[in-house]
Amino acid sequence: MASFIIRRIGQSAVLLFIMSLLVFVGMYMVSDPVAVLAGDDFTAADREALARSLGLDRPLPLQYLAFLGNVLTGDFGQSYVYNRPVLDLIFERLPATLEMVCLAMVLGVAIGIPLGIWSGLNRRHPATRAVSFATTVGYSIPNFWQALLLILVFSVWLRWLPASGRGDTVPLLGAGWSFLTIDGLRHMLLPAANLAVAIVCMQTRLTRSGTEEVMFQDYMMFARSKGIPRWRLVNRHLLRNILIPIVTITGLELGALIAFSTVTETVFSWPGIGKLLLDSIYRSDRPVVVAYMILITVMFVAINLVVDILYALLDPRIRYS
Amino acid sequence: MTPLLQIDDLTIAYRLADGSGFQAIRDYSLTMAPGEIVGIVGQSGAGKSTIGKAVLGLMGENATIEAGRIRLSGHDITRARDVEAIRGRKVGYIYQNPMTALNPVLTIGEQLLESIVTHTGRRGAAARAYAVELLEQAEVPQAAERLSKYPHQLSGGLCQRIVFAIAICARPALLIADEPTTALDVTVQKAVLATLERMARKEGIGILLITHDMGVVAQMCDRVQVLRRGELVEEGATRQLLLHPAAAYTRQLMAAIPPMDRRLDRFDVIERQADSPGRERGIAYLRTARDGFAPSGSALLSVRGLSKTYPAPPRSGQDAFVALKDVSFDVRAGEVLGIVGESGSGKSTIGRCILGLQQPDAGAAITFRGRSLQPGRRDRAALARSLQCIFQDPYSSLNPRMSAAVNMTYALVAHGLVAARDARRLAGDLLEVVQLPRDAAGKMPHAFSGGERQRIGIARALAFRPELIFCDEPTSALDVTVQAEVLNLMKDLREMLGLTLVFVSHDLAVVRQMCDRVLVMSKGEIVEAGAADEVLLRPRHAYTRDLLASMPRMAET
Repeated sequence: MASFIIRRIGQSAVLLFIMSLLVFVGMYMVSDPVAVLAGDDFTAADREALARSLGLDRPLPLQYLAFLGNVLTGDFGQSYVYNRPVLDLIFERLPATLEMVCLAMVLGVAIGIPLGIWSGLNRRHPATRAVSFATTVGYSIPNFWQALLLILVFSVWLRWLPASGRGDTVPLLGAGWSFLTIDGLRHMLLPAANLAVAIVCMQTRLTRSGTEEVMFQDYMMFARSKGIPRWRLVNRHLLRNILIPIVTITGLELGALIAFSTVTETVFSWPGIGKLLLDSIYRSDRPVVVAYMILITVMFVAINLVVDILYALLDPRIRYS
Repeated sequence: MTPLLQIDDLTIAYRLADGSGFQAIRDYSLTMAPGEIVGIVGQSGAGKSTIGKAVLGLMGENATIEAGRIRLSGHDITRARDVEAIRGRKVGYIYQNPMTALNPVLTIGEQLLESIVTHTGRRGAAARAYAVELLEQAEVPQAAERLSKYPHQLSGGLCQRIVFAIAICARPALLIADEPTTALDVTVQKAVLATLERMARKEGIGILLITHDMGVVAQMCDRVQVLRRGELVEEGATRQLLLHPAAAYTRQLMAAIPPMDRRLDRFDVIERQADSPGRERGIAYLRTARDGFAPSGSALLSVRGLSKTYPAPPRSGQDAFVALKDVSFDVRAGEVLGIVGESGSGKSTIGRCILGLQQPDAGAAITFRGRSLQPGRRDRAALARSLQCIFQDPYSSLNPRMSAAVNMTYALVAHGLVAARDARRLAGDLLEVVQLPRDAAGKMPHAFSGGERQRIGIARALAFRPELIFCDEPTSALDVTVQAEVLNLMKDLREMLGLTLVFVSHDLAVVRQMCDRVLVMSKGEIVEAGAADEVLLRPRHAYTRDLLASMPRMAET
């Protein structure tokens, strides 16, 4: 297992290098920071001076090498727009996204897995058909439209929950968190619910199909013949066997949501990193975009590593060598 | 005395997808005394397993008991509500395939202890001690250590003994054993059955033994019932029934069992036999090109110093696994060479090395008609046409997304041996050669039974007009009557076409019926070789004698 982890980290280093190169070259091709940053009254000489001050006058390979050298010393550079270190910007915004996504994930898993098991075990129950229909619809609704609907119902009509902002935050580990205050949680509920709908639907369908498949396995028949209590049948025999695909998808979704819940953050004015990414792309803030993509890659690699380790813990037949 | 199990006029129906009903069991009755061992035999599809599952209320949700009653020690357990209380407690269930009956992700200990805790009230250390005791009764060596193991770490025989321990943990009055040894090797099967019988007799547990194997019935059962298409055909004391079967169906079933003591020309089973233009055309096609074949009796394939070693996983502390060790033999043109041995003895590995599916260790020399068979050689493709294979599992050896016709001919077309527009007609002809209707060509594999699929597999191998066919346990997945039909077909084809076959089997009686010469393999080595009659009737090696002694036999009853 240890050698597997070490090998995986080595592979990740290569992946990160390729990723940084792609993003760097990509950003170079699609955007010109000078054009965005320069005022209307800038002369050609002013523009040249601006480019020189940002180091953009050098050829691309040199720019990239300089960037790479800085990154290796832990310096991702300064944002062109905010004129502050990129990492500070990202870590300021990250907690907002993290807590919202985690709440969404908890909601999704806590509702989706039991619902999926229930409908898998009661295939002929009328409610199962309703669940099946609802999850198909829920997964297909466009995210932004669903967000507007949530705001309309819970903020405008019922006036139960606030429609935007983060509410009160409490500082912890050098960042502000909303989940520690009632007001913060109330603000978080709608954006998290907006993300959770798709997760619930995905988890329900995944769990249901897994349950239907596993219930037909010989070992489930044998376990039933043993006359053991039903909760054991479901919690140990069934659940352990359907968790692997669920863990895979949960890991992938977690990563995707942290990286790209831009739409939800925008609609609910939730100051997370998704919004930062969008703003930075618009403003050609190349250092922010590049650092962001690299951090996201690191996160995906880490999540996948955790998922792989979980595989081995869940299924004794899986061994990494 | 109250009967242990009494089933009266039981009728069970399955609701099919199209809304119609299908009666899997009709007016079936059984009375079993406490401690009695009763066998139910019949072909697959006869409804044997349905009876076992009905007693435990474990039928699928689309099955219903339409009529009849099931009583256990006088208590009615026909309704699902009543049956739940007896599962595991009064009736234990032994599943067909021990490798799939145990949950792969839970330890042996957990799976055994959960039953003990549920049914005996023992907890903690007492439950653990009882678990070890049960495993010891089931003759599991190093019982205490096994509790922390997972099923995949143990052999099939051990897994089945653990299933026994689980099934008897609550001291039930009845065990339902559904094909308990079908998935096991013959030598393992004998020992496992002996353990089961010993445990049952000692505790006075009755066994309802569901099997297709007459040998197992002869070895274990006091009484036996013959089931056919959901109906009871015949019932009687084992010896009486096996030696003097009254019903025609029972006699037919007995006739399909390959005997050990003599070699039959053909099995006495009813078959479709029709000559048609298509069949004649197919046979003519298969006969052409045979003129260039090696003369009968000459060495067609020669294997020298064949070894195959699987390296151990790095740092696992295990030794490398030697699948084959210095194996040498010849196959002469026109003969059927049998290879017998238990699973893991290297039988199939020989085939994979010959067919080029696996790379043997350095130093091996495999020559076919004097030409070396080395992977990567340019004439490998040409040689591949001369060497074909019939696989063990007819369910997974046909491509499920291709029709029967395409399954048989796509490789021929890919090799450019047959034009695509002629392939369909050839497929029809070949189907008739293997005695399937030619309009079956368009059907998909799932529409065929196991025996029919195996016929398609045979036709596919023949289609290349190969000089040698490697048959890897071609009938071990089939029912005994279907096996007899397929073996008859292979005998006929061999006679008509002069085929050269390498016939791998763990069933010595089948080898006796099919083979001219035989190699006995054990742990990757050939321990005995010679004429089939000689080796199987007058074995010299101790291992061959063991193998022969392990066969369940009826003659002794």
